[in-house]
Amino acid sequence: MSALARRYGSLFGMVAIILFFWIALPETFMTARNWINITQQLSMLTVVAVTMTVVMVMGDFDLSVGAMASLSGVVAAVLFTQDWPIPAALGAALSVGLLGGLFNGVLVSLIGILPFVATLATLTIFSGAAFLASDGKTIFGRDIPQAFSDFARGGLPIGSLADKPLLLPSLTILAALVTLAIWIILEHTTYGRRLYAIGGNSEAARLAGVRTRALRLSAFAFTGLGAALAGLMYASRVASANPVQGDGLMLTAIAAVFLGMTITRDGQPHVLATVAGVITLGVMDNGLTQLQVDSYVRQVLVGAIILAAVSFSAFGRRALRGR
Amino acid sequence: MPQLLISGLSKSYGPSRALTSAALDLRGGEVHALMGENGAGKSTLIRNLAGLEQPDAGTILLDGRPLTLGTPKRAEAAGFRFLHQELHVVPALDVAENMHLSRPYPRRIGLVHWSALHRAATRALHDLGVDHIDSRTMMGDLGPGDQMLVRIAATLLPADPTPWLYVMDEPTAALTGAESARLFDAIARLKGQGAAILYVSHRMDEVMTLADRITILRDGAHVATHSRRETDRDRLIHDMTGRALSDLFPPRPAPSGAASVLRIRNLRTEGIESLDLDLSTGEVLGIAGLSGSGRGALLRALMGALPRQGEITLFDTALPDTPSGAWQSGLAYIPRERRSEGVMPARALSETIALPHLANLSRYGFLRPRATEALVHSLSDAVRLKSTGPGQPVAELSGGNQQKVLFARAMAGKPRLLLLDEPTRGVDVGAKFDIYNLIRTAAAEGTAVIVVSSDLPELIGLSDRIAILNAGRLTRILPAAGLTEAALLSACYERPV
Repeated sequence: MSALARRYGSLFGMVAIILFFWIALPETFMTARNWINITQQLSMLTVVAVTMTVVMVMGDFDLSVGAMASLSGVVAAVLFTQDWPIPAALGAALSVGLLGGLFNGVLVSLIGILPFVATLATLTIFSGAAFLASDGKTIFGRDIPQAFSDFARGGLPIGSLADKPLLLPSLTILAALVTLAIWIILEHTTYGRRLYAIGGNSEAARLAGVRTRALRLSAFAFTGLGAALAGLMYASRVASANPVQGDGLMLTAIAAVFLGMTITRDGQPHVLATVAGVITLGVMDNGLTQLQVDSYVRQVLVGAIILAAVSFSAFGRRALRGR
Repeated sequence: MPQLLISGLSKSYGPSRALTSAALDLRGGEVHALMGENGAGKSTLIRNLAGLEQPDAGTILLDGRPLTLGTPKRAEAAGFRFLHQELHVVPALDVAENMHLSRPYPRRIGLVHWSALHRAATRALHDLGVDHIDSRTMMGDLGPGDQMLVRIAATLLPADPTPWLYVMDEPTAALTGAESARLFDAIARLKGQGAAILYVSHRMDEVMTLADRITILRDGAHVATHSRRETDRDRLIHDMTGRALSDLFPPRPAPSGAASVLRIRNLRTEGIESLDLDLSTGEVLGIAGLSGSGRGALLRALMGALPRQGEITLFDTALPDTPSGAWQSGLAYIPRERRSEGVMPARALSETIALPHLANLSRYGFLRPRATEALVHSLSDAVRLKSTGPGQPVAELSGGNQQKVLFARAMAGKPRLLLLDEPTRGVDVGAKFDIYNLIRTAAAEGTAVIVVSSDLPELIGLSDRIAILNAGRLTRILPAAGLTEAALLSACYERPV
C-alpha cells in the first residue's frame, strides 16, 4: 500500500501540477504551441539529465556537466571564428566532451577519487578552460555561421495552427533521439544491466565477472558527450557562446534524476523517470513564468517541490521498511 | 536464581500464524539453546521478548510474577539484553565510547571524564575475561568477534537492574573459529556469574558443546525441551524437521572413470605460500583448516579476485586470472559473504541470477528478455527457490533462499568447476538438505566441486576427499569416507612440514 503511495504519490503530484496550470492558465497552457515550446526549452536539460542517469545508476554522479556544456559551445564557436567547417567544429567540440568524460572516468574508476571530489575539480578545470578559449567574451553575430543557428530554429512540419505552420523543433527531436538511445542502452543491453549491477552491489558484480573498472570508466563518457551535445544545442539556439551559458544545467539535471527516482518501483534512477522529472521541472518553470511569478520566488518554489517529492518518497520507504 | 517461564505464546501477522503455542523455561546459570528451521518462530519469539512485538496471547512469568513487555524499555528493565548477528557499532569511535553509547558518560564538572570512562570500560572487559582488547582501540579496527565481545562487555557496566538474560541470535555467523572460542569463554563466564543465555543457532556442534538445555520449535509451536546430556544430534534434527540425520547427506556414488579437471601447481597468493592440487570430474573436494589457513583465499585466487602466481590449468588450458574470464571458462563461485559479495539486495532476484551469464543471454549486446526469463524460471525450480517471483528483491528472501539464488546462478550453463565458500552458513536445516542435494547432483553430472566449510560434519558428509590447509600450505589430503570429526579436527591442528 505504502509502496503504491510512494510511487504514485509523486506521479500524482506531477499530474496535479499540470492540472493546476491548466486551470490557472486556461487560454495558454494546454496548447500545442506551448507544449512544443516547453519541449524545446527542455531539450538541453533532457540530454544532460538522461546521460547523467547513466552514471547515477552506478551510484555515481558528475558535477562537471554544466561546465562541459559551456566549454563545448565555446570550443565550437572559437573554431567557427577560425573558419573551420561546421561538421569539423562540432566534431571537435563533441570530442572535447568525450575526452573530458573519459578523464572523469579515469579519476573516479582507475585512480579511485570520490565522484564528488573528482568532478568538482574537473568542473573548475573545464570552466577555466572555457574562459581561456573564449578570452572571457561572448562569441556571437557574424562569427556564428547561419546554418548552425538555423538548426535550432528549424523543425519538422507537423501541421498548422491559425494559418501558421506548426514545427516539431529539431532540438526536441534530437533530445528524443538521445533519450531513446540511452533508454535502449540502459534497459536492453548487457552493458546497461551491468551498470545497474554495479549500482546494486559493486563487489558482488565484480565477483560475478563484471569488469567494474572498465565499465565505470566508460559510463562517464556518456555524461561528457551528453553535456557537450547539450552545449552545442544551447549555442545553436541562442546563436552565440559564452563561457558560463551551460553552467545552470548541472544542478537541474541532478534534481531531475532525483525527482525521477521518486516514481520508480525500486527507487533507482531510470531514463523514463528522469524524463518525467525533467518535464515536471520544465512545466513548473513555464507555468510560473506565464503566471508572472518573480524568478527568485520561482527558484524557491522549485526547490521546495523537489524537497517535498524526495521527502515523501523517503517517508514512504521508511513506512515500507517498518512493516 | 531468576526464572523466566513462557507458555502458550501466540502471534499472528494477518492470516499467517508465526507462533501458535511457544513455550520456554529459562533459568539463571544455564545456556539454553533455541533451535528450529527458518520460519519455526524463533525470531518472532525473540521479538516478543525484546518488546518489539506484542503477543496475541500467552503468559510470561518472571520469578512467578506476570511480566508485561511490549516496549524495548520494559525488556531492558526486566534485565534482558539482545545481541544480534548484525552488530550496531560505530566504527569511528573507540571501544570505550562504543560501550557507553546507550548510557551516560562519566562526567566531571560537566565535561566527559575520559580516564573514568576508560577505567569503567577496561573493568567490564576484564570481568568478561577479555583482556586482549584495549579500550582505546577504534571499534572499526576490531574483527566481528571482538566487536561482539565488546558489545557483551558493555552489558557488564554497572546498571540497575543488573542484566541476567542474554539473547544471542546466531552470534557466531560472522566469526572465525578462534573468535568463536573466545565468545564461548565469555558465555561460560556469564553463566558462572548466574546469567541465563538464550542461544539461537543452526550450528549443531556449537549447541552440543555449549548448551545445558535445548528447546526446539517447529511451525510456531514448542516441540520439546531436552537436556543436552540426554539427547543427540539425530534426535534434535528429527525434532526440527521430522527427518533423520542420516538422510541429510545424499549418498556418495563410487568414483567412475574420471578425467582431470583442475591442476594447480605452486599457487601463491595472499595467505597461501605454495600449493599443489588436482581435481577430477565429478569429485567433491572439501577444504578444511583453521581460520587464517588460506581456505577462502584459495577460492578467491582461483576466481581471479585476488592477484596470484603459479600455474593453474582447467582441462589443460591456462585459467584466466580475472573473475569475468573465470566465469567464461566455466567456473562458478559462491562467495562467503552472501550479502556483501553475492547478491544485489535491493534488486530483483532475476538480476542476481542472470548477471554472470548476460553475455550468453544477449545477441550483439542486446538482451534477450525471454531467454533470461526462461533461464531464471528453470533455475529457480531446480533449486526449489521459494519466492513471489523473479522480480522479488533478494533482501526480502530468507537466508536459505538467498543462498539458493546464488546456487541458481552458479548452476546456469552447467559449470565445469564449482567453488563454494561456506555454502550453508546461516541456512536452516531444510534448505541445507536442498543445497547438499544440489551439490551432489552437480557432481554426478560431472562438475568438479571445491567446498570450503568450517562445519566439519558437513565437510565429511559432503566431500569425497578433504584437503587440509594450515598457514597457507597443504598439509594432508584425506578420504572423507569413514573420517571422524575428531580425526579431522586434529588434522587441522597439524603443523605443515
